[in-house]
Amino acid sequence: MFDLSHNPSPTTSSSDPRHFIIVGVLIVITTVVLKILLDWALPLPLQASVQAITIDWLFGLHIWLISFLFALVTVFMCYALVVFRRREGDDGDGEHFEGNTALEIGWTTAPLIFVVIFSYLGLTTLWDVTATQDNELVVVAEGFQWGWNFYYDDIPNPEMVAIEGVLVLPVDQPVLVRLRSKDVLHAFWVPEFRVKQDVVPSIPYSTMEEASHDGEYPEEKMTEIRFTPNLVGDYKLRCAELCGLTHWNMVKDVRVVEQAEYDEWYESNFGEAATALADQ
Amino acid sequence: MSLMSLGLVRGVIGQVIGTIVGFLLLMLGRLIGGYEEVWFAEGAWSLGAIFGVIGFLYGVGALDAWTKWMGGVFPPIHHGPIEGEPTWTRYFYPDINHKVIGVQYGVLSLITLMIGGGMAVIFRSELARSGLQFLDPGLYNTVISMHGWATLAAVLIGIGAMANYLVPLMIGADDMAFPRLNAFAFWINVPAVILLMGSLFAQWDSGWTMYPPLSLKGDVGYQLAAYAIYAIGLSSILGSLNIIVTMLTMRPPGMSLFRMPIFCWAMLATSILQLTATQVIGQAMLMISLERSMGMGFFNPNSGLSDLGLPTGIPGGDPILFEHLFWFYSHPAVYIFVLPGLGIISELLPVFARKPLFGYKWIAMSSVAIALVGFLVWGHHMFTSGFAPYLRTTFMLSTMLVGVPTGVKFFSWLGTLWGGKLSFETPMLFVLGAISVFLLGGLSGPILATVATDMPLHDSYFVVGHFHATLFGGFIFPFFAAIYFWYPKITGRMYNEGLGKLHFAIMTPAFWLMSIGQMTVGVMGMRRRIADYDPALGFGGVETGHQVITVAAFLIAFSILVMVYNLFNSADVGELAGNNPWRSRSPEFQIPSPIPEHSFPTPITVVGEPYDYGLAGSTYIQMAPALAGDD
Repeated sequence: MFDLSHNPSPTTSSSDPRHFIIVGVLIVITTVVLKILLDWALPLPLQASVQAITIDWLFGLHIWLISFLFALVTVFMCYALVVFRRREGDDGDGEHFEGNTALEIGWTTAPLIFVVIFSYLGLTTLWDVTATQDNELVVVAEGFQWGWNFYYDDIPNPEMVAIEGVLVLPVDQPVLVRLRSKDVLHAFWVPEFRVKQDVVPSIPYSTMEEASHDGEYPEEKMTEIRFTPNLVGDYKLRCAELCGLTHWNMVKDVRVVEQAEYDEWYESNFGEAATALADQ
Repeated sequence: MSLMSLGLVRGVIGQVIGTIVGFLLLMLGRLIGGYEEVWFAEGAWSLGAIFGVIGFLYGVGALDAWTKWMGGVFPPIHHGPIEGEPTWTRYFYPDINHKVIGVQYGVLSLITLMIGGGMAVIFRSELARSGLQFLDPGLYNTVISMHGWATLAAVLIGIGAMANYLVPLMIGADDMAFPRLNAFAFWINVPAVILLMGSLFAQWDSGWTMYPPLSLKGDVGYQLAAYAIYAIGLSSILGSLNIIVTMLTMRPPGMSLFRMPIFCWAMLATSILQLTATQVIGQAMLMISLERSMGMGFFNPNSGLSDLGLPTGIPGGDPILFEHLFWFYSHPAVYIFVLPGLGIISELLPVFARKPLFGYKWIAMSSVAIALVGFLVWGHHMFTSGFAPYLRTTFMLSTMLVGVPTGVKFFSWLGTLWGGKLSFETPMLFVLGAISVFLLGGLSGPILATVATDMPLHDSYFVVGHFHATLFGGFIFPFFAAIYFWYPKITGRMYNEGLGKLHFAIMTPAFWLMSIGQMTVGVMGMRRRIADYDPALGFGGVETGHQVITVAAFLIAFSILVMVYNLFNSADVGELAGNNPWRSRSPEFQIPSPIPEHSFPTPITVVGEPYDYGLAGSTYIQMAPALAGDD
């Protein structure tokens, strides 16, 4: 396997442990340097939801993995390009070895272990960010070409629509947004909240139209997205699924405010309709 | 010699006539059916597209053998240029020689790549600064859609180039198992690309993924694009069938499967995918076309085709059904796109390292493993789609699994480099560039595989960075490496090494900058497929990132022009190459350059391993001695 008898090269054998020690040290250094560079080059937006904490944590772990694997391959590669380059006038061949079964098994099993670990973490984080909470505030967000309506009810009740088209939410309150479309696919995404969900039309809009006039709401499949905003501030909701001409500008304001300010806004926006709803 | 004697010209005329025939058929049908309006764009362009492709194939001569056979005369296969015509005209006609077909595929691929790349240069100019400068949003959406499919068509066609040129040579075969089918499969791509160009003018705005209900509205460009894709898919299926049969039945004595050049294994795995998965996207395109033209209720819950002036169809279609059908092909498709290029990397490294390919059998099996596992991961494109929640789990697990065989390849390449005597001619530079770029693309995969981290990144520019890096590393860089590497066999001359290195020196750093730029703005919150963006997005603004990406794109385009100039110019004035400028053990380098009409005058026998560089006295193939009286 590492037969050098036919290859009288003055350079050291490729299996010399010194190569691996140098490479090992370089990999450690490169990993750390890359992690720092990647954290700088890939800055996530402000963290404004509870889900963002979990997601950013897993994101950071991925960056470590990327830094390590990138360092592993490129250090070995660049080292080889320098140390094992052909010297001027040397027309000979390289060392003749065809493989190494132990290495093959090793570099198949080790990645498999990583896959198992990240699968587990992927599962737990997925459950974390999609888990149903108690006391969710339910809002229906309706996407259409090219804007959004927000209904503060669990059905698209036109009497509970946010008048200025701003999605106002109280801080630290779990929110369930049910999503429906009047026409094509859209997607609900506020980068600071991290989570994203497509908006899928599920029943003919003509049925929706007729029904809402009668005050009745047909069964419709709405996709759902859950998040708990935890930072007061102004954000933007941007449609994240190409939906035609003005997809680029299908943007609405989202305001996360203190509970008191939310209650005030709710009162002034919905007034009687809200009382009627509460009485039902 | 008149223009009409060129097959290509007759083909284009055939396509025009066929399109008109399609229109007339549609109008006749509507007349008989008693419709008020005899002209109906959706139906007319559907039938026009189909009959146009058939008309092209008839005009170019790709159907000649079968029409003659139907008339009772079975025509013999004709080898060599067309009689009485200059030699170069054979490239504009359904020539059956796999080497000619390989070059035809290669040239068409480069042309289509430049069309797709041209689209990118256009919209990157728009995106360099915030604000809408010169592209209106409707045209912007069409240009990005065209960029997608034109470049992917270029990739599929380029794979046809490498496979058809190399596989018979690598197994010492005189040609493919089905030479006429080979020519036919190439020529389908030409009317398909013409249709695709037509769709640019007719406009369609959904992005390459054509999601309904958006793709069920809007302009008739969708019909042209759908049938163009269908035709390219058909070429893919027929070509892959040919490759599989050729590899399984035409190997020489002594060439067991594990003694084939590794590129053949890559093409075997790729062909399995092409042969079995492509049908599904053809299906999906047909369904879009029929829903648009006949109101069939597959995907639109509204089925309110009143936008297109049709009576409302059956309500209850599901947009997510399309996504499943589309991605069931389009995920394996991305492995189709990269497996051949990864095979080229494995093929070239031993030559430039002067030592065996490390772990040949494991690399061969990893290609097959990627192909098979690649069928099980399509849902990772749909994590936010609203499909059944439990599917997120299964697809997350299968997606991460596919990284394992890919890792095997990377480590094997390191094992091939380690202990070698490395030289850095242009093909090797592009192979090394491919490895670094594919590493970047591949490593940006797992973060998209775990659903929680996919949520902020799906439909953002991060994904754009991920797939451009994997496509460039898996196809574009290896394709260019292959062009430079086999150029001497095709033309008999060497390309200009200085210009080759210049191409590499401009393209590689530019591409790195572009990828990082894309991933950065994506993480900051920039969405994909938007004509304009808020400059305030992200720390320090996303606009700088866009300027970097745009400059990089222009540099990449320029470097490709340098290559095209090099390829043309060197064919005239390049240094004569001789049989084996790279001291390769592969069969095609044991015969003259340029390779003669009949590649192997005498059959070859395999007597050793393909990559035993460094093993003194070892031989891979032996040519049988020429018998007296043979030419």
